[in-house]
Amino acid sequence: MKWINFLLLAAFLGLMLYAAAGLPGRADLNAPFNRDFSPAGTPNAANYYIHNAYKDAHTPNIVTVVLADYRGYDTLGEETVILTAGLICFLILFRPEKKNHATV
Amino acid sequence: MLDFLLGHYAYWFILALLTIGLYGMIMKRNLVKKLVGMTILQSAIILFWVVIASKWNATVPVIVPEIPCSQAANYINPLPHTLMLTAIVVGVATLGVALALLIIIYRNYKTLEENVLIDRMK
Repeated sequence: MKWINFLLLAAFLGLMLYAAAGLPGRADLNAPFNRDFSPAGTPNAANYYIHNAYKDAHTPNIVTVVLADYRGYDTLGEETVILTAGLICFLILFRPEKKNHATV
Repeated sequence: MLDFLLGHYAYWFILALLTIGLYGMIMKRNLVKKLVGMTILQSAIILFWVVIASKWNATVPVIVPEIPCSQAANYINPLPHTLMLTAIVVGVATLGVALALLIIIYRNYKTLEENVLIDRMK
C-alpha cells in the first residue's frame, strides 16, 4: 500500500514539472501577466494598479493601495474569516465540561 | 537552454517543496506532522506566486519619485503580493482552528497517532 502512495507522489511531481516547463520564465517581461494587455485584449489589472495607484490613493505603497483601497471589501471579508476562526477556537477550547457522562 | 534553466529552476524548487508538503499530508501518521505538511504546501504556493511577481531590473512596488510609474516594467507586479498577504492570513486562521481541534482530540483520546486514534474511536 505504501509504495502506491510513493508512486502517486512521484507521478504528481512529474506532472507538475512537465506543466512548469510550459510556464513563462521567471521575471520575463513578455509574460502574459506582465504585458499591458492580456492575450484576450483586456487591460491587465496589475499594470493598471502600477500606473494609477499613486494618482488614485496618494499612498506610495502599491500593495497597501490594492489591499485597502481597490480591494477593501475583500480585506473586510478576510477580517470576517479571522473573526470566525477566533470564535471557533474559543468555542472549541472553552466548551463546558459534561459532568454526568463518562468521557472516553 | 541556459535561459530555460535560469528561468525555470525556481519553479522546480517550489514544486519539490509542494511534493514534500503533500508527502507529509499523505504518508505521516501523526496528525501534527500532517499539519506541518499542510503548512509546507501552503508556503510552496505562496512562494510560487511571489516568484511569478518578479520582473528583471524592477524594484519593489513602493513608488518613489525618481522611478516613474508610467512604465509598468519599473515596478514588480503588486497583485500577487497582495493576494498572498490574504492567503497568509487565511492560512494562519486555518492553522489555528486545526491546532484547536488537535488539542480537543488529544484531550479526549490521549493520542495523535492516526492508527491508534482509529482503534480508540471504535
